[in-house]
Amino acid sequence: MKFIRNHLAFIFPMMAILLGIEFFLVFDRTTNSYEKGLREGYSMFAVAKQPMKLENFKKLNSHIKQSLEIDKDELAKQISKGMSQSNAEEILKSLPYFYNLKLDGYLSSSLLEDIKNDIEESPYIKRVETFGSSYTDSYRLFSFIKLILKVFIGFMSVISLFLIIKQMEIWRYAHKERMQVMKIFGASLMLRSGVLFRVAFVDAIISAFTTSGLFITLKYKLAIDSHMDILSQKQTLLFQVTDFFILFGISILIVIVSVSIVVFSNRE
Amino acid sequence: MSTNFVINATNLTLSYGDEDIIKDTSFSVKKGEFIFITGPSGSGKSTLLKSFYGQLKPKSGSVIVGGLDMSTISNKKLQELRTHLGIIFQDYKLINEWTVKKNAVLPLMIAGYSMEVQETQAERLLKHVRLSKYKDRYPLELSGGEQQRVGVARALAKNPFLILADEPTGNLDEYSSNVIWDLMENACEQLEATVLVVTHRIPSIFSHPYRHFIIEHRGVYEVH
Repeated sequence: MKFIRNHLAFIFPMMAILLGIEFFLVFDRTTNSYEKGLREGYSMFAVAKQPMKLENFKKLNSHIKQSLEIDKDELAKQISKGMSQSNAEEILKSLPYFYNLKLDGYLSSSLLEDIKNDIEESPYIKRVETFGSSYTDSYRLFSFIKLILKVFIGFMSVISLFLIIKQMEIWRYAHKERMQVMKIFGASLMLRSGVLFRVAFVDAIISAFTTSGLFITLKYKLAIDSHMDILSQKQTLLFQVTDFFILFGISILIVIVSVSIVVFSNRE
Repeated sequence: MSTNFVINATNLTLSYGDEDIIKDTSFSVKKGEFIFITGPSGSGKSTLLKSFYGQLKPKSGSVIVGGLDMSTISNKKLQELRTHLGIIFQDYKLINEWTVKKNAVLPLMIAGYSMEVQETQAERLLKHVRLSKYKDRYPLELSGGEQQRVGVARALAKNPFLILADEPTGNLDEYSSNVIWDLMENACEQLEATVLVVTHRIPSIFSHPYRHFIIEHRGVYEVH
């Protein structure tokens, strides 16, 4: 019983960290498409005095990813309805060039303002307009949720790391005699601490597998059984093979850091 | 080593806190000698022994073991020195979670010998201390005398140049004690190791030539 309790005292905090990380990975993935929608829903419209290429826009601001020229002919046709052919051609000639600009990321309002100012500074640009009334509100809400999640995971990770280090201290104490005997016979610090590394590695592997198992269950069982569109539609994003390797790597890193802290802080 | 001294103490003072346990004492031990150090309880026998394997640094003076000054020795050198010592304790200090075989070859494991070598040496050592049939048992399944024989096997595992024994028969009955003394005599003769034993009294059956030091009034004196 004591043996199980000792291991659970390591596995639970480790799983808390891994669950937090996996939640963030899943959240990040599932919200990527939403973020993309917001980004694409936002448009920046530029009116230029002369034809401009994407490179010209990129020189003005590197966040511009794509420039789509709006067909002037259609616009001229609408304006020149009922006019003579020569007048229509005159109108077409006098019309400036219109561009719909796409950006490379989901950017803050202040950065968008900077981009607009950069484009307007060009002598070839007559005007820049932006469309996307809900963009700023959505961006702020989205950033806030992400920040809250990061703070929560960070806080939980720090607390869990302290619990893991505490458990390592208990194990070090439990194996103190063995480590002392090994020291008397000339074992290096790392060799003496081998027992701590071994126990912690086993528990870290158990934690990584259990956390992955929980998310695989969520992906293949709970997501379908729940009949919730938001879960079933994003099912593939709930857990990916690469996640296991990320969790495994992080758990091993935590073991190395926590054992090293305990071992080096108690070096005689 | 420029001389054939295995241990050379000069004006050695050892203390715990402000209290001097051994004070301003000098003596030396040559290669291949068998030394008994006796003295009443609390006289500083074990303290003196600890200074030989670097568990306690001298307060003043010096003690040189295997050519290395224990006052100034680095951790790395001390670690290296300890792999060439054989140390035996009154309370055995075996690792109870390990089998007898694994305990016996601890110094070989620390030195990084292969599993095959460890296996072969374990057979040889346990045969030497007459514990072959208990090789897969755990220390707590053995009697005190048998546990101490594992301790002796461990001390001999890497053919040490110096064997330090702290009351090796302190917890044993007469028969088991005699077995241990026999093994120690053999170690001195066959391995040509220097053996230094801290004990309450010198065994009457002991036949090997030895030197006797006594600790009295914080000093170490040779008894002739």
